[in-house]
Amino acid sequence: MSTGQESAPAPALSLEGVSVGYGEKTVLADLGLEVPAGRFTAVIGPNGCGKSTMLKAMARTLPVRSGRILLDGEPLEAQRSRAVARRLAMLPQEPVVPDGITVRGLVDRGRHPYRSALRRRLPGDGEAVDAAMAATGVAELADVQVTDLSGGQRQRVWIALVLAQQTAHVLLDEPTSFLDVAHQIEVLHLCQDMRASGRTVLAVLHDLNQAARYADELVVLHEGRLVVQGAPADVLDEQLLADVFDLDAQVAPDPQSGTPMVVPRLRQSAQAG
Amino acid sequence: MSTVPAPPAERDARRSELRPTRAPLPPGLRNVLLALVLAAIAVAAGAVTLARGDLGVGPSDILKVLEGGGDRRAEIILTRMRGPRVLVGAGAGAALGLAGTLFQTVTRNPLGSPDVIGLGAGAGAGIALVSLVSDGPAPTWMGALAGSAIAIGLVHAATGRGFASPSRLIIAGIGVAAMALALTQYVVAVVLRDAGSQLAGQLVGSLNSRSMQHAAMIGIVLLVCAPLAGLLRHDLTVMDMGDEMADALGAGAVRTRTSAIILSVLLCAGAVAVAGPIAFVALAAPHISRSTLRLPGPHLLVSALVGAVILLVSDLAVQAVPLLDGLPVGVTTAGFGGVYLGILLIGTWRRNSA
Repeated sequence: MSTGQESAPAPALSLEGVSVGYGEKTVLADLGLEVPAGRFTAVIGPNGCGKSTMLKAMARTLPVRSGRILLDGEPLEAQRSRAVARRLAMLPQEPVVPDGITVRGLVDRGRHPYRSALRRRLPGDGEAVDAAMAATGVAELADVQVTDLSGGQRQRVWIALVLAQQTAHVLLDEPTSFLDVAHQIEVLHLCQDMRASGRTVLAVLHDLNQAARYADELVVLHEGRLVVQGAPADVLDEQLLADVFDLDAQVAPDPQSGTPMVVPRLRQSAQAG
Repeated sequence: MSTVPAPPAERDARRSELRPTRAPLPPGLRNVLLALVLAAIAVAAGAVTLARGDLGVGPSDILKVLEGGGDRRAEIILTRMRGPRVLVGAGAGAALGLAGTLFQTVTRNPLGSPDVIGLGAGAGAGIALVSLVSDGPAPTWMGALAGSAIAIGLVHAATGRGFASPSRLIIAGIGVAAMALALTQYVVAVVLRDAGSQLAGQLVGSLNSRSMQHAAMIGIVLLVCAPLAGLLRHDLTVMDMGDEMADALGAGAVRTRTSAIILSVLLCAGAVAVAGPIAFVALAAPHISRSTLRLPGPHLLVSALVGAVILLVSDLAVQAVPLLDGLPVGVTTAGFGGVYLGILLIGTWRRNSA
């Protein structure tokens, strides 16, 4: 899909002056940004900056108070829910595992947007589910109860559901939280695989080094506004860490990938005293 | 990349206790078999209700009456006495079971049922007030319907967000139910005094002296609501993964929840109108279906059948079991459903802690 930066393909998602809030509180204020199609974009920012809120608004769970969100150039609210779900998938931060469901049963839920009350099963469903389980390495767990799986395995099953949905764009809300570091890397590799297969990936990530290393592009949010957006090497510097994260840190090249790596400085007070 | 951990397959192998699902039968077949067994029990309970005692009408008599023949005695019993009783019991039970499973699916609350949000209590208050203002055979079903409609209307207004938020719905509902209960108790204890015991029967739900009009009423409610629930089933299946996942899959969580709760309230109100506020069936039927099937829901058909079985068997008990003789059926539904649900839950807890 992506033909290089210079040809600038149409954005997968665009936010135009979007405001979102809960009750009295405004979380996103007049936010505008474009998510490039076919690339892996990581959203970073301190807690409460509106990262998850932005994803929830894109996924239609939170209503937009003003402004609009475009999916492939068309306003979201003008489209049928089911039609959107065939192009845009979202993995929430803490989805609920239903009681008594098997891995195959859960992954099969990804086919929901293609079915209806009168067409419960469609040709191609089985193949899509098998391919999704194979791509995430859970094929051999197909008949196991999801509640019996470890956190890392469970996350791969949820990603398989998202793959079975066969959408062009995928949103992931903190997909690495609650996982140990090996499983975090595993999930990030799956994100890279999704991008390699032509999908747009937009993920909220907590770990700045992982975001810089695995994503093509960073979106930095602070207090509900876009601070900067661009390639990790252009965006992540000491000034940004101080301004946005209130962190005194050195930025050095990652020994493996050469991408910017954040190394917090030791406290100065011990030396001073 | 020497720091990359063992590949997934190798790490999975360490979790050797992973058990494949114990599924002796494929899920679809389990569903159908359980539905057939429940339908058979319901038919048997209905047949026994019709056949027992001096006024009994056996299967052969029923066939004769249906063909237009048969004697006058059998016809009266079938069309005016026990026939409506069995039909209303089956219909109200099915409506309550279906209502409960719709409600619990979209609120993701195992203790949820339209009763919890004040429908039954509102109906009770309506019945009590109607009995105050009218003498003789008051149209209790009108009081029940008006009372439940007012209660649900209050809940809808009090949440500030309609039926969109499950937790607000249940908290507002408990408040409205408490107010309705207080009103009912005031009427029973202070105003009616002597007539209180007769009213008490109506307040817990009863299948005594039902007519074919009652049977037709619950039949129509089921004919309208059950197909709509069937259409909604597609989106209901993904509600158990949380609102965000349901939204992401195009099922529109708030829209699906609102539709399911409206259907649930209509079904429950129908049951209340023909049989009074019968407790516990809507709460217990979905639990019994879930623990028996052990499959992801919603089990619409099975829950409806479980509801019908609970109500028919409980009604048989108040007619045939000496100690329960003459009690309103609402007293025994809690007993039967409660005991069975308790056994199931204890079994589940034992299994899980083993």
